[in-house]
Amino acid sequence: MTAVATAAAERGALVADRVRPGEIWRIVRLLAVNPTVFFGVPWMILGGAWVVTMLIALIAHAAGAPVDEMQEGMRYSWAVLSPQWYLVVVGVQAVAYTLSFALGFGSTRRDYWLGMSIMFLFVSTEMAVAIATLVQIEQATDGWWIGAGMFDALWYGQSGWLFDFYTTFSLQLFVLFIGAAVTTVYMRWRMKGMMTLLFSVLALVLAAVAAITLTGSGPAVASWFAAIGLGGLFGIVLVLAVVVGIAGYFVVRRATPR
Amino acid sequence: MTATVARATGLTKRYGDFTAIDGVDFELHEHRIYGLLGRNGAGKTTIMQLLTGQLFPNGGEIEVFGRTPAEHADVLRRLCFIAEAQRYPEDFAPKHVFRAAPWFFENWDQDFAERLIADFRLPVKRRIKKLSRGQLSAVGVIVGLASRAPLTFFDEPYLGLDAVARHIFYDRLLEDYAEHPRTIVLSTHLIDEVANLLEHIILIDQGRILLDRDAEEVRGSATTIAGASAVVEQFVADRLVIGRERLGGLASVTIDERLDQAERVRAAELGLELAPVSLQQLIVHLTGTDLAGTTEQEAAA
Repeated sequence: MTAVATAAAERGALVADRVRPGEIWRIVRLLAVNPTVFFGVPWMILGGAWVVTMLIALIAHAAGAPVDEMQEGMRYSWAVLSPQWYLVVVGVQAVAYTLSFALGFGSTRRDYWLGMSIMFLFVSTEMAVAIATLVQIEQATDGWWIGAGMFDALWYGQSGWLFDFYTTFSLQLFVLFIGAAVTTVYMRWRMKGMMTLLFSVLALVLAAVAAITLTGSGPAVASWFAAIGLGGLFGIVLVLAVVVGIAGYFVVRRATPR
Repeated sequence: MTATVARATGLTKRYGDFTAIDGVDFELHEHRIYGLLGRNGAGKTTIMQLLTGQLFPNGGEIEVFGRTPAEHADVLRRLCFIAEAQRYPEDFAPKHVFRAAPWFFENWDQDFAERLIADFRLPVKRRIKKLSRGQLSAVGVIVGLASRAPLTFFDEPYLGLDAVARHIFYDRLLEDYAEHPRTIVLSTHLIDEVANLLEHIILIDQGRILLDRDAEEVRGSATTIAGASAVVEQFVADRLVIGRERLGGLASVTIDERLDQAERVRAAELGLELAPVSLQQLIVHLTGTDLAGTTEQEAAA
């Protein structure tokens, strides 16, 4: 008679080493095997934005603009956030392409999601350390010696290195996970799932707006936001990133590649 | 008796109203080369995706190395499946694929992979998106061969490969299979190209299995009889004819039957020529009839 190849004894041994760090770590390596995606391109975008900022500052100097006012104006530049849009796409592609590929190579969805999450943590930490440090350098050199401001902008450069690290890290993690998790919904339920998700989010937002408007609690909400401050706001972003990351883990377990 | 590597029972996969795989049963045995044959859209890739845990069945059971394949790392580590329409990570080049492969396949042979890259003249630094169809097939073929996975799937490996490359694949597969026996499942609709490679044939059409038999048996199961029209027609008069060709006073008729020694002698005495039927001819016949049958059913429903 025929026997199924895995003997019972062997199966027992396999169950014993269920925790396989190697099989999660190889996903991190797979995502980094072409380092331009996670590291090269974001820095090219940031570098490009930096060059443009420098040129604008130099032109403004040549035109004889007052340095103080220019520095103030550059605080409203969004250049420091320029890689974020690209990194949403990176999150999308990590699931749309690399997950399909890893499944062909015999990875489980579970290991893929865990490996990808580790990669996201790495990238977020790296970006946060770099940007928080660049803010400090920009301040120390008084705007790269020409009064230009790119990193010391928006909320950055107000509350120290640690705060800048924390805000960048939270935002970065959220951006990557939202891209990956939304794509996972597509990989599991296709267009139907995407539409359901879109309309659910819209309904939720409308319900919140209606609730706030109808109960006249607008000022209360505004003062709550003021009370939690930027620190609290990015705390919410960080919590959302974690929630989306965990939800994605459960959705991806039955996702199917295209 | 060889061990069973995979077993499907009543396996069903539906996409909405469309039934891609319709309650099929089959087994894959250790150390054999299987041909998963059928027309475009017959369900070949779907079966492979179900066996590798990429898709989840809607009904029936599937067991690979003793377990459901989906999400079981101890099963999946023994499989290799590069789909014909495989998606690769953004901006990947073949060199990235081959660099990552040893992390996923414990039997990966880097020297063998490099020899194959040279044989196929694959430009490893060119981006996957820019590769030709044949070069893309070569990537899948190289991964499949060099991975030496105990259960390896080749999904339409011949797509776009030139004659030399097809020959290389054929030779390397047989050489390596002899040294490192494993179970190989090869899907294709280019049947004649692979006919001699296959040890077992699973023929599917419209999500159902039409034939699941040893390749040798299938090859010998039909005969073509050629000669003068009148003599041929007389010889095949009460037999199951599956193909008929005529040219002037000559005829060539294919019957779905094996002739015994006495009949062969009689045919020779009548001046008829006997020839074996190619797998392709046989399969065209089999899938052709089934197609007609189902269309009638659909019309009736």
